[in-house]
Amino acid sequence: MRCRIISSPNSKMRMVDVNNLNVKFGKKHVVHDVSFNVDKGEIIGLFGISGAGKTTIVRVLTCQIEKKHWTGNVAVTGLSPEKKSNHSKILSNIGYVPQLELLNLYFELDPMVNVEVFTSTYGLNKNEAKETAEKLFKILDIPKDTWKKRVEKMSGGEKKRLSMAIGLIHNPDVLFLDEPTTGVDASKRYDILSYLKKLNQKLNTTMFIITHDLEAALICDKAAILKDGRLLEFDTSQNLISSLPSKGLIARFTIEDLNEKLIAVIKEFPSIRRIIRVGNEAIEVLMENFEENLPKLIEYMVDKNIIITSMSKDIATFRRYFQIRIQMEEEKENSLKEVKVIRK
Amino acid sequence: MAKLKKKPLSLDKTKIKERISKIKPSFNKIKKKTPKPKLNLKKHGSKISNLKVNALRIFKQVIKEFRLLWTDKFNLFLAIVVPPLIIIMLGFTMTDAPPETQSIPCMLISYDSNTFINQNDFTESNLDNYTMPYVEAVNKSIMLELVRFYNATEEIYAMEAARNALLSGEINIILSLPVDFTELLDFGLPGLIDCVPDASNIQYIQQSLNSVYDSIKIFVNDNNLTPQFQIQGFEEFTIPEGYSNNFNSSIVMALSFMVFGIALVLSILVIVQEKPIARLLLTPVKRSEILLSKFITYTLVLVFQVSLLVISGLVMGLYIAGTITDLFLALFMIGFSGLAMGVFISSQSKTKTQANQLFLAVFLVAVLLSGIFIPIEGMPVYLQVIAYILPLSHGDPLLRGIIQKGQSVLGIHFIWLLVISIILIIISFVIFQRRKYEV
Repeated sequence: MRCRIISSPNSKMRMVDVNNLNVKFGKKHVVHDVSFNVDKGEIIGLFGISGAGKTTIVRVLTCQIEKKHWTGNVAVTGLSPEKKSNHSKILSNIGYVPQLELLNLYFELDPMVNVEVFTSTYGLNKNEAKETAEKLFKILDIPKDTWKKRVEKMSGGEKKRLSMAIGLIHNPDVLFLDEPTTGVDASKRYDILSYLKKLNQKLNTTMFIITHDLEAALICDKAAILKDGRLLEFDTSQNLISSLPSKGLIARFTIEDLNEKLIAVIKEFPSIRRIIRVGNEAIEVLMENFEENLPKLIEYMVDKNIIITSMSKDIATFRRYFQIRIQMEEEKENSLKEVKVIRK
Repeated sequence: MAKLKKKPLSLDKTKIKERISKIKPSFNKIKKKTPKPKLNLKKHGSKISNLKVNALRIFKQVIKEFRLLWTDKFNLFLAIVVPPLIIIMLGFTMTDAPPETQSIPCMLISYDSNTFINQNDFTESNLDNYTMPYVEAVNKSIMLELVRFYNATEEIYAMEAARNALLSGEINIILSLPVDFTELLDFGLPGLIDCVPDASNIQYIQQSLNSVYDSIKIFVNDNNLTPQFQIQGFEEFTIPEGYSNNFNSSIVMALSFMVFGIALVLSILVIVQEKPIARLLLTPVKRSEILLSKFITYTLVLVFQVSLLVISGLVMGLYIAGTITDLFLALFMIGFSGLAMGVFISSQSKTKTQANQLFLAVFLVAVLLSGIFIPIEGMPVYLQVIAYILPLSHGDPLLRGIIQKGQSVLGIHFIWLLVISIILIIISFVIFQRRKYEV
């Protein structure tokens, strides 16, 4: 599927340009014809279930996959990872924060020495590195008393933030973050996301967030939804939600003794576009001409002896949009399969 | 009949808009307030290709390696403290002075006391002339401790009793005087003494035989017997007086095993245990630079370790027939081959466990095929090939040549060690270059 390419209203500097990217490992086609582009300062969320191809795309962008495995036109900070001679330049223009801190930090050393180790690879001198680190540590609220202690003695959250600081230590144009909120408890997840937003605002760094955590869409300028190596959508979360029937307005019903039969009865109502079961006794309904049709739907349900215990209306969240979009894709795949079976 | 329990719905557009605006992420508000970046961090990407920066990067990586080594106190102790400590211990224990405890417990059985009938006067004699003088000689020898003397004519199970004592470890040697011991000496022929040492311990065999020679020397002197022939020996490569023979002969083996083994154990985990390597590879640093920095670091550690070893050896009385420089270079080369072998193991191991298992296998095979315990020439051809590929088979003769014979370090063994090390380093670089890292 070819996705929409959204051009930025202000002609900003292009940081990442991906056109018709295909990745194959032997006979396995991992990424199919993916195209998108990203401008400076944008935060991009790569969303998708496991095996969607999120990490593979980022690996192409970060020069981790050999050219023989992929085709297409890719440029990161204006340089193509296709040429090996560009790798060093690309790697000095990007930062990477892995999912696990132990892959990014020397636990036996203190944060400042860790900073020194990584900055030396970019050719920064010790004083510049220290100065930059101090600025980043302050933004990320890494307590000063931990700066000279071994990383292994830091808390999980501090390690995570230090890992982010290491990723940004050379002020990269693009920062890739692999599952930044995984392994962090619910209360700290929002902290991590707000730190990322804060860093984005202060440094104007383009960020790529690979994540399962759909809450991350809150800080993303654009969200890319991937499934089975195909880019389904690439747009702002607001636009994506608005693309739903009635601009994403949903009605949530709690129904007594809810079962599949009752759902099938409700589905027969003409303007209904989708019903999502949320829990044992609740459904969310998307329909055309929401405001006009909602009273009619209620009337219809009452006529059909359906007991509504509560009802509310809301606008769909990104989580709901993602769920609907993936469902739509699965239904499409299933119908294609059915057509193939019939043809055979 | 359907029941609507909640209030009827009111579809007020303004209220819906209000709710939508509440749902919008608060982050967007922050963004509007601060649209321009405040912090301006300097960029240094343009300097990357500079040769000076490359050298500086390797230097910084070496410093990182030293810092990591410094945090690993056990490895540091193993590399720096243990080798000289072993040499010092050897110096104190391997002395030539025979201590009291060195006398070997033995039993003496005499078959020489059989009844002898003189054909001239038909007189009987039950005790031959030279039995008791030999018993006295054994008693006089400080190298033998006579636990019991048996007269086999009186105790017919003497040999069985002595064998049982040998089996239980009560004694280490059985001495037996044959039936014609006195007669042979009387007729001016060489007298024979049967000697049954405990051969389960190889070390005891030579020691036991030396003790028996000591007793024979006393016996010959005390009884004015003339030895049948005399051998005069001129020893080559002897250790001068004042130096310990035991220490100097055992240190050769200890040095080669220790330098090789410690270099191997220090380096087997250098690649496999460093998790952030995968992340480092997403910076402009090259794989070759990472591996090179590791070699530089551990080579410097090796230089320090070898220096300490040579100094501690000299302090404890090591006699070097060759030059100290040659000894230093030889030890360094043996250690460097261990380092190359260790990095090779680390570069191709996927886990720490795998590296440890490989280390044990390689070290045991290298020791067993070093030629110290089993002569390489006596091995089957395929084992000889393996033995000559492994560094220790060259380390021992190289050190022995320098320490005991005064040979130069430059020779076939040094060249072999150099070739083995270079091949291992090249393979390690190739493996590390192709190793798959994922973050």
